[in-house]
Amino acid sequence: MTRRGAGLALLACGIAGLPFLASSAYLLTVFNIIGLSTIVTLGLILLGSSGQVSLGQAAFYGLGAYGSALLSRDLGWSPWATIAIATAATAGVAYLVGVPTLRLAEHFFVLATLGFGIIVNVLMVQLVDVTGGASGLRDIPGLRIAGVSLAADRAFYYLVWGLALAALLLAQNITSHRTGRALRAILGSEVGAAALGVEVSRYKMQVFVASAAYAALAGGLYAHYIRFISPSPFSLYASLFFLIMAVVGGLTNIWGGLFGAALITILDQVIRAQVPRVFPRVGGEYQTAIYGILLVLIMIFFPSGIVRGALDLGRLLRPVGPEPAKGGSA
Amino acid sequence: MLALLPQLLLTGITIGSIYALIALGFVLIYGVTGILNFAQGEFSMLGALVCATLLAWHLPLATAALISVAATCVLGALTERLAVEPAFGAHPLTLIIITFGVSMALRGLALMLWGADPYALPEFTPGPPLVLLGGVLVRQAVWAIGLSVAVVGALFTFFVRTVPGAAVRACADNAFACRLVGISPRRVSLAAFTLSAALGAVAGIVITPITGATYDMGLGLGLKGFVAAVIGGLGNAPAAVVGGYLVGIIESLATGYLVPGYAGAITFLVLLAVLFLQREGVLHGAQRRRA
Repeated sequence: MTRRGAGLALLACGIAGLPFLASSAYLLTVFNIIGLSTIVTLGLILLGSSGQVSLGQAAFYGLGAYGSALLSRDLGWSPWATIAIATAATAGVAYLVGVPTLRLAEHFFVLATLGFGIIVNVLMVQLVDVTGGASGLRDIPGLRIAGVSLAADRAFYYLVWGLALAALLLAQNITSHRTGRALRAILGSEVGAAALGVEVSRYKMQVFVASAAYAALAGGLYAHYIRFISPSPFSLYASLFFLIMAVVGGLTNIWGGLFGAALITILDQVIRAQVPRVFPRVGGEYQTAIYGILLVLIMIFFPSGIVRGALDLGRLLRPVGPEPAKGGSA
Repeated sequence: MLALLPQLLLTGITIGSIYALIALGFVLIYGVTGILNFAQGEFSMLGALVCATLLAWHLPLATAALISVAATCVLGALTERLAVEPAFGAHPLTLIIITFGVSMALRGLALMLWGADPYALPEFTPGPPLVLLGGVLVRQAVWAIGLSVAVVGALFTFFVRTVPGAAVRACADNAFACRLVGISPRRVSLAAFTLSAALGAVAGIVITPITGATYDMGLGLGLKGFVAAVIGGLGNAPAAVVGGYLVGIIESLATGYLVPGYAGAITFLVLLAVLFLQREGVLHGAQRRRA
């Protein structure tokens, strides 16, 4: 067994055992949200491995959610099938979006995904007949296996984390073999990679479609877990939130995706609970201030993520004196 | 349908003049530093909210506006020194994400300081609206259009006629050559952020008597100004001003003739179309690297 395999097995055991240590419904819900966010963030990191950043990830997340919710609710199809169909359809949408946009230089691609995300969100609000508008869709069927409902937090926990681990494994396989080497070459220099015979546009398209499929899968799971969806969790703000998760973990670091999703989701819960005590007047999205500052600090001091940054810091400090690497901020 | 057209055009030109100012701020920073500054709209928000607060402290409107523009300038300079300068030379994506972070931070801080309620400013010169070409124009709209034309004019004079202006243009052209002749690109970058903050603040203060000011107005204004700048090719200031008026008019026509809720989507549809069509110009701008 390789070191990586051992790490993954250890992680799987830890995840399997966690509900026995922390079994309150609140904690399980938080863990489930972390699992869903991990899947979306992994997609962003796959994309990041090719030097691209997307601000439309929440739109793909939303397309998966709305697609699967509508098919299962209005046509009565099994949610398992509709999640798969919605994921495949969203991947198709990503392909169509990617054909013209992936040729753009990196920061114009960011803009194009941002524009796409806003358009999709406006459609979710405006197409009232289909999406229910701002008040959203209710009565989305839950997931069942052989007649047993997976609606309970604990059952859903094992489902979402099983899929998150599979997504992690897949992402790791993609980035550690031929495609991964090609992506790293593209990240280093697109022109250089092309000169070495790497089909730049094909690889970029593959990871973009994969990242959209990751987001759509998580979105489908979300819709059948919460069983109610509205446009607001799929807004530009959500895209930024996923980007922060990816950036905290390191935009090209697969394992960082898990770390970033967990850290930011937990931080969000803490902020929501604590900030009103300090600023009782404040309502709404005040936490953006904290995330904004966090984002700036990480990009200045740890541009390759907190995990990598802390490791580098530890290595740097070792000759002076052994310093335990902590995932701290500067 | 056609009877509505003059009114929609007038509204579009009014809001377009605001977008033009913001777009100019984008172009200024992008031209000099190669950074897309997503915090641009927040400068407008801060200009407007600071001005409203000073007015509430019984300062005259002109004084309040001047102090607020100056305060926003300081903030623009601080943004450059604290958030952008430390990451100088980093990957362009890193710098974009940083400006996103600054934008989120400013919006969140504004919410903490001013709350979510909208603030108002009085019209600069109160009076009945003017009737022009079969449309109605509030007096503040004349201020918006006039001030934006004046500021754009002043800016062009600055760039073409003065030595500091020439230094900024030189820096946008070739930062390395600038260093050879003793112009510091870092100082020019600081100047660009300061000046862009001033442009944003003026835009925010002028539009507030018409639309009101809230902590989250910067996102919408910034994105529209940004679309305007992209339409203009990002490296071209006069084209960005034209882009601003175009976005304003398109938005106004879409609001008038389509379901108003779709107007926001239309602007970004235009952005996507421009990005696809304008590949040559866009790529040319993107490949410019700082020395």
